[in-house]
Amino acid sequence: MADQVSVDAKAVAAGTGRPARAARPAATRWEPYLYLLPMLLLLGVFTYWPLVHTAYLSLTSWNLNPDMPIRFEGVANYGRLVGSTLFEAAAVNTAIYIVASIPLKVLLPIPFAVFIWGLGPRGNAYRTILFLPTLISFVAVSIVFLWLLNPLGGALPQLAQLVGWRMGNVLSDTDLAIWAILLISTWKILGFNILLYLAGLSRINRDYIEAMRMDGASDYRIFRHLIWPLLTPTTFFVFVATTIFTIQQVFTPIDILTEGGPSSSTTNLFYMVYQYTFRTFDVGLGAAGTVLLFVLLFVITVVKVRLLDRRVHYQQ
Amino acid sequence: MELSRPWRVIGHSLLLLASLAVLVPMVFVVGTAFKPPPEVFRLQPWPDAPTIANFAAVLLDTPFLTFFINSAGTTVLRVAGQVVVAVLTAYAFARWRFPGRDLVFAIVLGAMMIPHQLTMIPNYILITRLDWFDTWTALIVPHLAMPFGVFLLRQHFLAFPPELFDAAEMDGAGSLRTLWSVVLPTMSAPLAALTIVLFIDTWNEYFWPLLVTSSPASQTLQIGLRRFLEEDYANYAGLMAGVTLASLPALAVFFALQRRVIHAFMQSGLKG
Repeated sequence: MADQVSVDAKAVAAGTGRPARAARPAATRWEPYLYLLPMLLLLGVFTYWPLVHTAYLSLTSWNLNPDMPIRFEGVANYGRLVGSTLFEAAAVNTAIYIVASIPLKVLLPIPFAVFIWGLGPRGNAYRTILFLPTLISFVAVSIVFLWLLNPLGGALPQLAQLVGWRMGNVLSDTDLAIWAILLISTWKILGFNILLYLAGLSRINRDYIEAMRMDGASDYRIFRHLIWPLLTPTTFFVFVATTIFTIQQVFTPIDILTEGGPSSSTTNLFYMVYQYTFRTFDVGLGAAGTVLLFVLLFVITVVKVRLLDRRVHYQQ
Repeated sequence: MELSRPWRVIGHSLLLLASLAVLVPMVFVVGTAFKPPPEVFRLQPWPDAPTIANFAAVLLDTPFLTFFINSAGTTVLRVAGQVVVAVLTAYAFARWRFPGRDLVFAIVLGAMMIPHQLTMIPNYILITRLDWFDTWTALIVPHLAMPFGVFLLRQHFLAFPPELFDAAEMDGAGSLRTLWSVVLPTMSAPLAALTIVLFIDTWNEYFWPLLVTSSPASQTLQIGLRRFLEEDYANYAGLMAGVTLASLPALAVFFALQRRVIHAFMQSGLKG
Protein backbone atom coordinates (compact mmCIF):
# COMPACT_ATOMS: atom_id res chain seq x y z
CA MET A 1 0.00 0.00 0.00
CA ALA A 2 2.68 2.43 1.05
CA ASP A 3 4.78 1.54 -1.97
CA GLN A 4 1.80 2.04 -4.23
CA VAL A 5 1.23 5.56 -2.88
CA SER A 6 4.90 6.32 -3.25
CA VAL A 7 4.90 5.33 -6.89
CA ASP A 8 1.72 7.29 -7.56
CA ALA A 9 3.12 10.35 -5.82
CA LYS A 10 6.18 10.33 -8.01
CA ALA A 11 4.18 9.74 -11.17
CA VAL A 12 1.83 12.61 -10.45
CA ALA A 13 4.60 14.95 -9.43
CA ALA A 14 6.55 14.08 -12.56
CA GLY A 15 3.47 14.47 -14.73
CA THR A 16 2.79 18.04 -13.69
CA GLY A 17 6.38 18.93 -14.46
CA ARG A 18 6.63 21.17 -11.42
CA PRO A 19 5.89 20.85 -7.72
CA ALA A 20 2.14 20.79 -7.21
CA ARG A 21 1.22 23.87 -5.21
CA ALA A 22 -2.35 23.59 -4.11
CA ALA A 23 -2.62 24.11 -0.40
CA ARG A 24 -6.26 24.51 0.51
CA PRO A 25 -8.03 26.39 3.29
CA ALA A 26 -8.12 24.39 6.47
CA ALA A 27 -11.27 22.44 7.28
CA THR A 28 -11.10 23.75 10.81
CA ARG A 29 -9.68 27.13 11.59
CA TRP A 30 -7.29 26.10 14.31
CA GLU A 31 -5.90 22.93 12.78
CA PRO A 32 -2.81 24.34 10.96
CA TYR A 33 -1.83 26.39 13.98
CA LEU A 34 -1.90 23.28 16.13
CA TYR A 35 0.73 21.71 13.87
CA LEU A 36 2.82 24.86 13.94
CA LEU A 37 2.54 25.39 17.67
CA PRO A 38 5.60 23.35 18.81
CA MET A 39 7.92 25.03 16.31
CA LEU A 40 6.65 28.54 17.02
CA LEU A 41 6.75 28.08 20.78
CA LEU A 42 10.32 26.76 20.68
CA LEU A 43 11.51 29.47 18.31
CA GLY A 44 9.87 32.16 20.40
CA VAL A 45 11.42 31.02 23.66
CA PHE A 46 14.84 29.85 22.52
CA THR A 47 15.60 31.89 19.39
CA TYR A 48 13.70 35.16 19.04
CA TRP A 49 13.26 36.20 22.65
CA PRO A 50 16.99 35.64 23.35
CA LEU A 51 17.83 38.10 20.57
CA VAL A 52 15.82 40.80 22.31
CA HIS A 53 17.23 39.77 25.68
CA THR A 54 20.80 39.94 24.32
CA ALA A 55 20.20 43.41 22.94
CA TYR A 56 18.92 44.46 26.37
CA LEU A 57 21.86 42.87 28.22
CA SER A 58 24.28 44.69 25.94
CA LEU A 59 23.03 47.93 27.51
CA THR A 60 23.59 46.76 31.08
CA SER A 61 26.32 45.89 33.51
CA TRP A 62 26.04 42.48 35.18
CA ASN A 63 28.30 39.61 36.26
CA LEU A 64 26.01 36.61 35.60
CA ASN A 65 25.36 36.17 39.31
CA PRO A 66 21.57 35.97 39.85
CA ASP A 67 21.91 37.62 43.27
CA MET A 68 23.56 40.70 41.83
CA PRO A 69 21.54 43.58 40.37
CA ILE A 70 21.53 44.30 36.63
CA ARG A 71 22.44 47.96 36.13
CA PHE A 72 21.33 49.86 33.03
CA GLU A 73 24.25 51.63 31.42
CA GLY A 74 23.15 52.59 27.91
CA VAL A 75 25.53 52.16 25.01
CA ALA A 76 28.66 52.47 27.18
CA ASN A 77 29.49 48.76 26.66
CA TYR A 78 29.90 49.25 22.92
CA GLY A 79 32.46 51.97 23.46
CA ARG A 80 34.28 49.86 26.03
CA LEU A 81 34.17 46.82 23.73
CA VAL A 82 35.45 48.53 20.60
CA GLY A 83 38.21 50.20 22.62
CA SER A 84 39.40 46.95 24.21
CA THR A 85 42.57 45.23 23.04
CA LEU A 86 40.82 41.85 23.12
CA PHE A 87 38.22 43.09 20.63
CA GLU A 88 40.91 44.50 18.38
CA ALA A 89 42.78 41.19 18.41
CA ALA A 90 39.57 39.21 17.86
CA ALA A 91 38.45 41.38 14.94
CA VAL A 92 41.84 41.20 13.22
CA ASN A 93 42.08 37.45 13.78
CA THR A 94 38.54 36.92 12.48
CA ALA A 95 39.59 38.71 9.31
CA ILE A 96 42.72 36.52 9.06
CA TYR A 97 40.68 33.36 9.61
CA ILE A 98 38.24 34.36 6.87
CA VAL A 99 40.75 35.60 4.29
CA ALA A 100 43.19 32.72 4.78
CA SER A 101 40.30 30.29 4.41
CA ILE A 102 39.74 31.35 0.81
CA PRO A 103 42.85 29.69 -0.66
CA LEU A 104 42.89 26.86 1.91
CA LYS A 105 39.27 25.81 2.18
CA VAL A 106 37.54 27.36 -0.84
CA LEU A 107 40.06 27.08 -3.70
CA LEU A 108 42.18 24.09 -2.67
CA PRO A 109 39.23 21.64 -2.83
CA ILE A 110 38.54 22.55 -6.46
CA PRO A 111 41.40 20.61 -8.10
CA PHE A 112 40.73 17.66 -5.81
CA ALA A 113 37.05 17.65 -6.71
CA VAL A 114 37.75 18.01 -10.44
CA PHE A 115 40.24 15.13 -10.38
CA ILE A 116 37.88 12.87 -8.41
CA TRP A 117 35.15 13.71 -10.90
CA GLY A 118 37.49 13.20 -13.86
CA LEU A 119 38.56 9.78 -12.58
CA GLY A 120 34.92 8.62 -12.55
CA PRO A 121 34.02 5.66 -10.32
CA ARG A 122 37.71 5.09 -9.58
CA GLY A 123 37.72 8.43 -7.77
CA ASN A 124 35.13 7.31 -5.23
CA ALA A 125 37.66 5.79 -2.83
CA TYR A 126 39.41 9.16 -2.57
CA ARG A 127 36.10 10.88 -1.97
CA THR A 128 35.30 8.50 0.88
CA ILE A 129 38.72 8.87 2.54
CA LEU A 130 38.78 12.65 2.27
CA PHE A 131 35.27 12.83 3.70
CA LEU A 132 36.20 11.00 6.93
CA PRO A 133 37.30 14.09 8.91
CA THR A 134 33.79 15.54 8.47
CA LEU A 135 32.46 12.71 10.64
CA ILE A 136 34.95 13.08 13.48
CA SER A 137 34.20 15.65 16.14
CA PHE A 138 36.28 18.79 16.22
CA VAL A 139 37.11 17.99 19.85
CA ALA A 140 38.65 14.67 18.85
CA VAL A 141 40.48 16.29 15.93
CA SER A 142 41.86 19.03 18.18
CA ILE A 143 43.06 16.59 20.84
CA VAL A 144 44.75 14.48 18.19
CA PHE A 145 46.64 17.44 16.74
CA LEU A 146 47.55 18.65 20.22
CA TRP A 147 49.29 15.30 20.63
CA LEU A 148 50.83 15.25 17.15
CA LEU A 149 52.21 18.78 17.67
CA ASN A 150 53.46 18.19 21.20
CA PRO A 151 57.09 19.40 21.28
CA LEU A 152 57.92 16.63 23.75
CA GLY A 153 57.56 13.44 21.75
CA GLY A 154 54.78 14.42 19.34
CA ALA A 155 55.01 12.86 15.90
CA LEU A 156 55.26 16.07 13.86
CA PRO A 157 58.26 17.57 15.72
CA GLN A 158 59.94 14.16 15.49
CA LEU A 159 59.32 14.01 11.76
CA ALA A 160 60.58 17.58 11.37
CA GLN A 161 63.76 16.61 13.17
CA LEU A 162 64.33 13.75 10.72
CA VAL A 163 64.58 16.28 7.92
CA GLY A 164 66.79 18.52 10.05
CA TRP A 165 64.21 21.13 11.01
CA ARG A 166 63.74 22.09 14.65
CA MET A 167 60.08 22.58 15.33
CA GLY A 168 59.33 24.38 18.56
CA ASN A 169 56.00 24.60 20.34
CA VAL A 170 53.88 25.87 17.48
CA LEU A 171 50.81 26.43 19.64
CA SER A 172 52.58 28.80 22.03
CA ASP A 173 54.06 30.87 19.21
CA THR A 174 52.11 34.12 18.70
CA ASP A 175 52.82 34.09 14.95
CA LEU A 176 52.31 30.42 14.19
CA ALA A 177 49.45 29.31 16.46
CA ILE A 178 46.71 30.84 14.31
CA TRP A 179 48.13 29.07 11.23
CA ALA A 180 48.14 25.77 13.06
CA ILE A 181 44.46 26.25 13.84
CA LEU A 182 43.76 27.27 10.24
CA LEU A 183 45.50 24.18 8.86
CA ILE A 184 43.73 21.90 11.31
CA SER A 185 40.33 23.35 10.41
CA THR A 186 41.28 22.92 6.73
CA TRP A 187 42.03 19.26 7.41
CA LYS A 188 38.57 18.97 8.95
CA ILE A 189 36.50 20.75 6.27
CA LEU A 190 38.36 19.92 3.03
CA GLY A 191 36.47 16.71 2.28
CA PHE A 192 33.11 18.30 2.92
CA ASN A 193 33.85 21.17 0.57
CA ILE A 194 35.07 18.68 -2.05
CA LEU A 195 31.65 17.08 -1.75
CA LEU A 196 29.94 20.41 -2.37
CA TYR A 197 32.04 20.90 -5.50
CA LEU A 198 31.26 17.36 -6.66
CA ALA A 199 27.57 18.20 -6.35
CA GLY A 200 28.22 21.24 -8.54
CA LEU A 201 30.24 19.24 -11.06
CA SER A 202 27.58 16.57 -11.34
CA ARG A 203 25.25 19.18 -12.81
CA ILE A 204 27.58 19.91 -15.69
CA ASN A 205 26.36 18.38 -18.92
CA ARG A 206 29.10 16.06 -20.16
CA ASP A 207 28.02 16.59 -23.77
CA TYR A 208 29.60 20.06 -23.66
CA ILE A 209 32.88 18.50 -22.64
CA GLU A 210 32.72 15.94 -25.42
CA ALA A 211 31.94 18.73 -27.89
CA MET A 212 34.96 20.75 -26.76
CA ARG A 213 37.13 17.66 -26.85
CA MET A 214 36.11 16.93 -30.43
CA ASP A 215 37.17 20.45 -31.29
CA GLY A 216 40.60 19.44 -30.00
CA ALA A 217 40.54 21.34 -26.71
CA SER A 218 43.05 20.29 -24.07
CA ASP A 219 41.99 19.24 -20.54
CA TYR A 220 43.32 22.52 -19.18
CA ARG A 221 41.33 24.50 -21.74
CA ILE A 222 38.19 22.56 -20.89
CA PHE A 223 38.69 23.34 -17.23
CA ARG A 224 39.51 26.99 -17.79
CA HIS A 225 36.74 27.81 -20.25
CA LEU A 226 33.97 25.40 -19.34
CA ILE A 227 34.24 23.83 -15.87
CA TRP A 228 35.52 26.84 -13.96
CA PRO A 229 32.83 29.24 -15.22
CA LEU A 230 30.05 26.70 -14.70
CA LEU A 231 31.36 26.05 -11.18
CA THR A 232 31.25 29.72 -10.18
CA PRO A 233 27.91 29.57 -8.32
CA THR A 234 29.16 26.56 -6.35
CA THR A 235 32.42 28.33 -5.57
CA PHE A 236 30.54 31.30 -4.22
CA PHE A 237 28.30 29.06 -2.14
CA VAL A 238 31.32 27.23 -0.72
CA PHE A 239 32.90 30.57 0.10
CA VAL A 240 29.86 31.74 2.04
CA ALA A 241 29.36 28.42 3.83
CA THR A 242 33.06 28.25 4.70
CA THR A 243 33.05 31.77 6.09
CA ILE A 244 30.19 30.88 8.41
CA PHE A 245 31.95 27.63 9.35
CA THR A 246 35.14 29.55 10.08
CA ILE A 247 33.44 32.11 12.30
CA GLN A 248 31.46 29.55 14.28
CA GLN A 249 33.28 26.26 14.31
CA VAL A 250 36.87 27.26 15.01
CA PHE A 251 35.60 27.87 18.53
CA THR A 252 36.41 24.25 19.37
CA PRO A 253 40.07 24.12 18.25
CA ILE A 254 40.66 27.53 19.80
CA ASP A 255 39.24 26.36 23.11
CA ILE A 256 41.08 23.02 23.15
CA LEU A 257 44.41 24.07 21.64
CA THR A 258 45.11 27.62 22.77
CA GLU A 259 42.16 29.09 24.70
CA GLY A 260 42.56 32.15 22.50
CA GLY A 261 46.23 32.64 23.36
CA PRO A 262 49.13 33.12 23.34
CA SER A 263 48.45 36.84 24.01
CA SER A 264 45.07 36.68 22.24
CA SER A 265 46.77 35.74 18.95
CA THR A 266 44.21 33.03 18.08
CA THR A 267 40.98 34.32 19.59
CA ASN A 268 38.14 35.34 17.28
CA LEU A 269 34.95 37.37 17.79
CA PHE A 270 32.91 34.40 18.87
CA TYR A 271 35.54 33.13 21.30
CA MET A 272 35.87 36.69 22.62
CA VAL A 273 32.15 36.71 23.47
CA TYR A 274 32.67 33.45 25.35
CA GLN A 275 35.70 34.85 27.17
CA TYR A 276 33.91 38.01 28.25
CA THR A 277 30.70 36.30 29.31
CA PHE A 278 31.80 33.02 30.83
CA ARG A 279 35.41 33.63 31.84
CA THR A 280 35.48 37.21 33.12
CA PHE A 281 31.70 37.35 33.73
CA ASP A 282 31.32 40.72 32.02
CA VAL A 283 27.90 39.99 30.54
CA GLY A 284 27.44 43.50 29.14
CA LEU A 285 30.56 43.25 26.99
CA GLY A 286 29.72 39.70 25.92
CA ALA A 287 26.23 40.76 24.88
CA ALA A 288 27.54 43.81 23.02
CA GLY A 289 29.99 41.52 21.18
CA THR A 290 27.11 39.18 20.34
CA VAL A 291 25.13 42.04 18.82
CA LEU A 292 28.06 42.97 16.58
CA LEU A 293 28.56 39.31 15.66
CA PHE A 294 24.84 39.12 14.89
CA VAL A 295 25.11 41.88 12.32
CA LEU A 296 28.10 40.19 10.67
CA LEU A 297 26.64 36.68 10.67
CA PHE A 298 23.17 37.80 9.68
CA VAL A 299 24.40 39.43 6.51
CA ILE A 300 26.44 36.38 5.52
CA THR A 301 23.71 33.90 6.43
CA VAL A 302 21.06 35.73 4.44
CA VAL A 303 23.29 35.33 1.40
CA LYS A 304 23.82 31.65 2.19
CA VAL A 305 20.14 30.84 2.61
CA ARG A 306 19.31 32.52 -0.69
CA LEU A 307 22.00 30.48 -2.41
CA LEU A 308 20.88 27.28 -0.68
CA ASP A 309 17.36 27.91 -1.89
CA ARG A 310 18.60 28.20 -5.46
CA ARG A 311 20.73 25.03 -5.14
CA VAL A 312 17.80 23.07 -3.84
CA HIS A 313 15.67 24.16 -6.77
CA TYR A 314 18.37 23.05 -9.19
CA GLN A 315 18.22 19.57 -7.76
CA GLN A 316 14.49 19.21 -8.25
CA MET B 1 35.05 12.97 -18.44
CA GLU B 2 38.12 11.03 -19.50
CA LEU B 3 41.27 12.80 -18.40
CA SER B 4 44.32 12.60 -20.60
CA ARG B 5 47.14 10.44 -19.28
CA PRO B 6 49.44 13.10 -17.76
CA TRP B 7 46.52 14.72 -15.94
CA ARG B 8 45.43 11.32 -14.67
CA VAL B 9 48.88 10.77 -13.17
CA ILE B 10 48.88 14.22 -11.58
CA GLY B 11 45.36 13.65 -10.27
CA HIS B 12 46.18 10.31 -8.69
CA SER B 13 49.35 11.69 -7.09
CA LEU B 14 47.59 14.73 -5.63
CA LEU B 15 44.67 12.72 -4.31
CA LEU B 16 46.96 10.07 -2.90
CA LEU B 17 48.91 12.75 -1.06
CA ALA B 18 45.72 14.27 0.36
CA SER B 19 44.43 10.84 1.37
CA LEU B 20 47.68 10.18 3.21
CA ALA B 21 47.35 13.52 5.00
CA VAL B 22 43.95 12.36 6.22
CA LEU B 23 44.83 8.75 6.99
CA VAL B 24 48.26 9.07 8.62
CA PRO B 25 47.00 11.00 11.68
CA MET B 26 44.22 8.43 12.03
CA VAL B 27 46.73 5.58 11.94
CA PHE B 28 48.72 7.37 14.66
CA VAL B 29 45.62 7.70 16.81
CA VAL B 30 44.53 4.10 16.56
CA GLY B 31 48.12 2.82 16.77
CA THR B 32 48.88 4.88 19.87
CA ALA B 33 45.66 3.70 21.49
CA PHE B 34 47.06 0.14 21.35
CA LYS B 35 50.57 1.04 22.55
CA PRO B 36 51.98 0.05 25.94
CA PRO B 37 53.54 2.96 27.92
CA PRO B 38 57.19 2.53 26.83
CA GLU B 39 56.22 2.78 23.15
CA VAL B 40 53.94 5.83 23.30
CA PHE B 41 56.57 8.37 22.23
CA ARG B 42 58.07 6.31 19.43
CA LEU B 43 57.61 7.62 15.93
CA GLN B 44 56.52 4.27 14.58
CA PRO B 45 52.74 4.65 14.58
CA TRP B 46 51.84 1.03 15.28
CA PRO B 47 52.77 -0.85 18.46
CA ASP B 48 55.27 -3.74 18.66
CA ALA B 49 53.49 -5.21 21.66
CA PRO B 50 49.84 -4.21 21.21
CA THR B 51 47.72 -3.99 24.32
CA ILE B 52 44.10 -3.25 25.06
CA ALA B 53 44.98 -1.92 28.52
CA ASN B 54 44.32 1.68 27.41
CA PHE B 55 40.79 0.85 26.31
CA ALA B 56 40.17 -1.09 29.49
CA ALA B 57 41.42 1.83 31.56
CA VAL B 58 39.20 4.32 29.73
CA LEU B 59 36.15 2.13 30.03
CA LEU B 60 36.66 1.00 33.63
CA ASP B 61 38.53 3.79 35.43
CA THR B 62 36.72 6.80 33.96
CA PRO B 63 33.01 7.71 33.60
CA PHE B 64 33.34 6.98 29.87
CA LEU B 65 30.27 4.75 29.77
CA THR B 66 28.23 7.40 31.58
CA PHE B 67 29.37 9.98 29.01
CA PHE B 68 28.46 7.53 26.27
CA ILE B 69 24.96 7.01 27.66
CA ASN B 70 24.49 10.78 27.99
CA SER B 71 25.60 11.31 24.39
CA ALA B 72 23.48 8.49 23.01
CA GLY B 73 20.38 9.36 25.04
CA THR B 74 20.41 13.09 24.40
CA THR B 75 21.29 12.66 20.72
CA VAL B 76 18.50 10.17 20.05
CA LEU B 77 15.87 12.16 21.93
CA ARG B 78 16.94 15.46 20.45
CA VAL B 79 17.13 14.28 16.85
CA ALA B 80 13.79 12.46 17.16
CA GLY B 81 12.22 15.62 18.58
CA GLN B 82 13.78 17.81 15.88
CA VAL B 83 12.47 15.58 13.11
CA VAL B 84 8.95 15.40 14.59
CA VAL B 85 8.69 19.17 15.08
CA ALA B 86 10.07 19.83 11.58
CA VAL B 87 7.68 17.33 9.96
CA LEU B 88 4.63 18.81 11.70
CA THR B 89 5.66 22.29 10.56
CA ALA B 90 6.41 21.34 6.96
CA TYR B 91 3.12 19.42 6.76
CA ALA B 92 1.07 22.41 7.93
CA PHE B 93 2.65 24.62 5.27
CA ALA B 94 2.19 22.07 2.50
CA ARG B 95 -1.36 21.11 3.26
CA TRP B 96 -3.26 24.27 4.17
CA ARG B 97 -3.74 27.89 3.36
CA PHE B 98 -4.49 29.90 6.47
CA PRO B 99 -4.33 33.52 7.63
CA GLY B 100 -0.78 34.51 8.53
CA ARG B 101 0.80 31.67 6.56
CA ASP B 102 3.45 33.82 4.89
CA LEU B 103 4.31 35.57 8.13
CA VAL B 104 4.74 32.28 10.00
CA PHE B 105 6.83 30.94 7.15
CA ALA B 106 9.09 34.00 7.32
CA ILE B 107 9.43 33.55 11.08
CA VAL B 108 10.47 29.92 10.70
CA LEU B 109 12.95 30.47 7.87
CA GLY B 110 14.23 33.65 9.49
CA ALA B 111 15.33 31.57 12.46
CA MET B 112 17.70 29.70 10.12
CA MET B 113 19.71 32.86 10.00
CA ILE B 114 20.20 32.98 13.75
CA PRO B 115 22.89 30.51 14.80
CA HIS B 116 22.88 29.18 18.36
CA GLN B 117 25.96 31.19 19.25
CA LEU B 118 23.93 34.38 19.09
CA THR B 119 21.35 33.19 21.59
CA MET B 120 23.70 31.49 24.03
CA ILE B 121 23.80 34.09 26.81
CA PRO B 122 20.02 34.39 27.40
CA ASN B 123 19.54 30.66 26.89
CA TYR B 124 22.23 29.92 29.44
CA ILE B 125 20.52 32.28 31.89
CA LEU B 126 17.14 30.70 31.17
CA ILE B 127 18.52 27.19 31.72
CA THR B 128 19.92 28.10 35.12
CA ARG B 129 16.69 29.89 36.15
CA LEU B 130 14.64 26.83 35.20
CA ASP B 131 17.01 24.61 37.18
CA TRP B 132 17.84 22.67 34.02
CA PHE B 133 21.57 23.25 34.38
CA ASP B 134 23.53 20.00 34.14
CA THR B 135 20.55 17.92 33.00
CA TRP B 136 19.60 16.10 29.80
CA THR B 137 16.75 18.58 29.39
CA ALA B 138 19.22 21.43 28.96
CA LEU B 139 20.92 19.53 26.14
CA ILE B 140 17.72 18.51 24.38
CA VAL B 141 14.97 21.12 24.67
CA PRO B 142 16.57 24.44 23.62
CA HIS B 143 17.59 23.01 20.24
CA LEU B 144 14.44 21.08 19.32
CA ALA B 145 13.34 23.66 16.76
CA MET B 146 15.29 22.99 13.58
CA PRO B 147 14.19 25.41 10.85
CA PHE B 148 16.76 23.88 8.53
CA GLY B 149 14.77 20.64 8.68
CA VAL B 150 11.62 22.47 7.58
CA PHE B 151 13.62 24.02 4.77
CA LEU B 152 14.93 20.65 3.61
CA LEU B 153 11.56 18.87 3.88
CA ARG B 154 9.46 21.68 2.44
CA GLN B 155 10.10 20.94 -1.21
CA HIS B 156 9.39 17.25 -0.73
CA PHE B 157 6.10 18.12 0.96
CA LEU B 158 5.23 20.65 -1.73
CA ALA B 159 5.84 17.99 -4.38
CA PHE B 160 3.30 15.76 -2.67
CA PRO B 161 0.19 15.57 -4.89
CA PRO B 162 -2.73 17.26 -3.09
CA GLU B 163 -5.17 14.84 -4.77
CA LEU B 164 -3.96 12.27 -2.29
CA PHE B 165 -4.95 14.52 0.62
CA ASP B 166 -8.48 14.60 -0.81
CA ALA B 167 -8.50 10.85 -1.30
CA ALA B 168 -7.42 10.28 2.28
CA GLU B 169 -10.02 12.74 3.50
CA MET B 170 -12.77 10.96 1.62
CA ASP B 171 -11.68 7.75 3.26
CA GLY B 172 -12.39 9.53 6.53
CA ALA B 173 -8.77 9.89 7.62
CA GLY B 174 -7.99 12.81 9.93
CA SER B 175 -5.04 15.06 9.13
CA LEU B 176 -2.71 13.33 11.56
CA ARG B 177 -3.61 9.93 10.19
CA THR B 178 -3.07 11.19 6.64
CA LEU B 179 0.35 12.48 7.61
CA TRP B 180 1.29 9.20 9.24
CA SER B 181 0.02 6.66 6.74
CA VAL B 182 -0.12 8.53 3.43
CA VAL B 183 2.52 11.27 3.48
CA LEU B 184 5.34 9.94 5.63
CA PRO B 185 5.78 6.61 3.79
CA THR B 186 6.74 8.60 0.69
CA MET B 187 9.24 10.70 2.65
CA SER B 188 11.63 8.03 3.86
CA ALA B 189 14.59 9.24 1.78
CA PRO B 190 14.53 12.91 2.84
CA LEU B 191 13.74 11.95 6.44
CA ALA B 192 16.68 9.55 6.50
CA ALA B 193 18.96 12.22 5.06
CA LEU B 194 17.85 14.75 7.65
CA THR B 195 18.22 12.26 10.50
CA ILE B 196 21.74 11.29 9.46
CA VAL B 197 22.98 14.85 9.24
CA LEU B 198 21.35 15.83 12.54
CA PHE B 199 22.69 12.72 14.28
CA ILE B 200 26.30 13.34 13.29
CA ASP B 201 26.04 17.03 14.11
CA THR B 202 24.50 16.48 17.53
CA TRP B 203 26.83 13.63 18.43
CA ASN B 204 29.84 15.84 17.73
CA GLU B 205 28.49 19.01 19.31
CA TYR B 206 30.83 20.75 21.69
CA PHE B 207 29.86 24.30 22.45
CA TRP B 208 26.40 24.02 24.02
CA PRO B 209 27.17 20.99 26.23
CA LEU B 210 30.30 22.83 27.35
CA LEU B 211 28.11 25.68 28.64
CA VAL B 212 25.29 23.81 30.33
CA THR B 213 26.87 20.67 31.78
CA SER B 214 29.25 20.34 34.69
CA SER B 215 29.20 16.75 35.95
CA PRO B 216 28.98 13.19 34.64
CA ALA B 217 25.24 13.47 35.31
CA SER B 218 24.88 15.08 31.89
CA GLN B 219 28.30 15.56 30.31
CA THR B 220 28.52 14.12 26.80
CA LEU B 221 31.42 12.25 25.24
CA GLN B 222 32.88 15.37 23.65
CA ILE B 223 32.98 17.14 27.01
CA GLY B 224 34.27 13.93 28.57
CA LEU B 225 37.20 13.95 26.12
CA ARG B 226 38.02 17.49 27.14
CA ARG B 227 37.83 16.40 30.77
CA PHE B 228 40.31 13.57 30.17
CA LEU B 229 42.59 16.09 28.53
CA GLU B 230 42.46 18.37 31.56
CA GLU B 231 42.79 15.67 34.19
CA ASP B 232 45.36 13.42 32.59
CA TYR B 233 47.07 15.48 29.93
CA ALA B 234 50.15 13.27 29.60
CA ASN B 235 48.30 9.98 29.23
CA TYR B 236 48.33 10.08 25.44
CA ALA B 237 47.62 6.42 24.89
CA GLY B 238 44.54 6.69 27.09
CA LEU B 239 43.41 9.87 25.33
CA MET B 240 43.78 8.23 21.93
CA ALA B 241 41.78 5.23 23.12
CA GLY B 242 39.06 7.64 24.26
CA VAL B 243 39.14 9.53 20.95
CA THR B 244 38.90 6.25 19.03
CA LEU B 245 35.93 5.01 21.04
CA ALA B 246 34.12 8.36 20.91
CA SER B 247 34.49 8.56 17.12
CA LEU B 248 33.23 5.05 16.40
CA PRO B 249 29.45 5.67 16.38
CA ALA B 250 29.52 8.40 13.70
CA LEU B 251 32.00 6.35 11.64
CA ALA B 252 29.83 3.25 12.05
CA VAL B 253 26.78 5.12 10.75
CA PHE B 254 28.88 6.27 7.82
CA PHE B 255 30.20 2.86 6.85
CA ALA B 256 26.78 1.27 7.26
CA LEU B 257 25.03 3.84 5.06
CA GLN B 258 27.86 5.26 2.99
CA ARG B 259 26.00 6.40 -0.10
CA ARG B 260 23.13 7.85 1.90
CA VAL B 261 25.43 9.78 4.23
CA ILE B 262 27.41 11.27 1.37
CA HIS B 263 24.21 12.21 -0.42
CA ALA B 264 22.71 13.68 2.74
CA PHE B 265 25.72 15.91 3.32
CA MET B 266 25.83 16.87 -0.34
CA GLN B 267 22.28 18.16 -0.05
CA SER B 268 22.65 19.88 3.22
CA GLY B 269 25.27 22.56 3.42
CA LEU B 270 24.16 22.52 7.06
CA LYS B 271 27.64 21.83 8.28
CA GLY B 272 28.77 25.17 6.95
